[in-house]
Amino acid sequence: MRQLPYPSTSNRMFKALAGWFHKLGSPPYFDAFAARWSPWCYLASLPLFALGLWQALAVVPADYQQGDSFRILYIHVPTAWMSLFVFGLMAFYSAIALVWRIKLCEILAMACAPIGAAFTLVTLLTGSIWGKPMWGTWWDWDPRLTTELILLFLYLGVMGLYGAIDDRRAAARAAGLLAIVGVVLLPVIRYSVVWWNSLHQGQTIRLFGESSMDSSMVLPLWLMVFATKFWFAGSLLARARADNLRREAGKAWVRERLEGAR
Amino acid sequence: MSYFKYVALAYGVFFVVMAWDFIIPRLQLRQQLRAARHRLARAQRADAAPAGNGELDR
Repeated sequence: MRQLPYPSTSNRMFKALAGWFHKLGSPPYFDAFAARWSPWCYLASLPLFALGLWQALAVVPADYQQGDSFRILYIHVPTAWMSLFVFGLMAFYSAIALVWRIKLCEILAMACAPIGAAFTLVTLLTGSIWGKPMWGTWWDWDPRLTTELILLFLYLGVMGLYGAIDDRRAAARAAGLLAIVGVVLLPVIRYSVVWWNSLHQGQTIRLFGESSMDSSMVLPLWLMVFATKFWFAGSLLARARADNLRREAGKAWVRERLEGAR
Repeated sequence: MSYFKYVALAYGVFFVVMAWDFIIPRLQLRQQLRAARHRLARAQRADAAPAGNGELDR
């Protein structure tokens, strides 16, 4: 008979993390967690937004070709990245919810949809506003613009499907399936400027490798990218908390929490 | 050429949508908490009401 080895630090950390995730799946624990961390996430985004916007509007020099209109980039690009990231995350949560039937993942997946739709809407509107002086038109049925518009429709489809079915769990499963199928659109959006002739400019900013954007213009972009990430986390927790309370209405823990708050 | 109106419009759209995204979850939370409080008050009233003898009043 062999003695089991003493658990290593990484093993113990993994177990602690798994235990924490398990606990987070409990509705009362998640409610307390979301109530505590959502305001902090919003708060963390505010100085990043303030600094990013100040840099974007007042510090960074105008582009030599596009003039000041290029400043729209600092909201257009972070929201465009978020529109793709949030959809991917929604599909990820939906897949977990479908496979392991974790209720919290259903809630989180469905809370992603309106936030992702808001980011997609900002992307489309700011792109359109930027396009008018640069391309001479508000809209063009260009591959990048069209696929981003389909992404907005997918978000709206997920929200509509979730709202249309009375049974919340069945609704989340149906809408989650749509989110998982919709993931095929993400690489199409990402590579649309490579695969087809497009009015939209190609990739200028790279996470890995050299960007074709001047280094003096990059800092506010990253500040805005992190600001939108924190904002998203705050909004996700707040929306998921509301949905969690709606699903748990009438449960003893909700009553105890309200009585405790008095 | 001045691009001020385009930049202002784009940032305006951004602020409006972000404000909507901030306000809506707060309203949803308030609505759920109010509904839960009403439910609790109803349950407490029902508990406090004296139990009748089962006969209907005339």
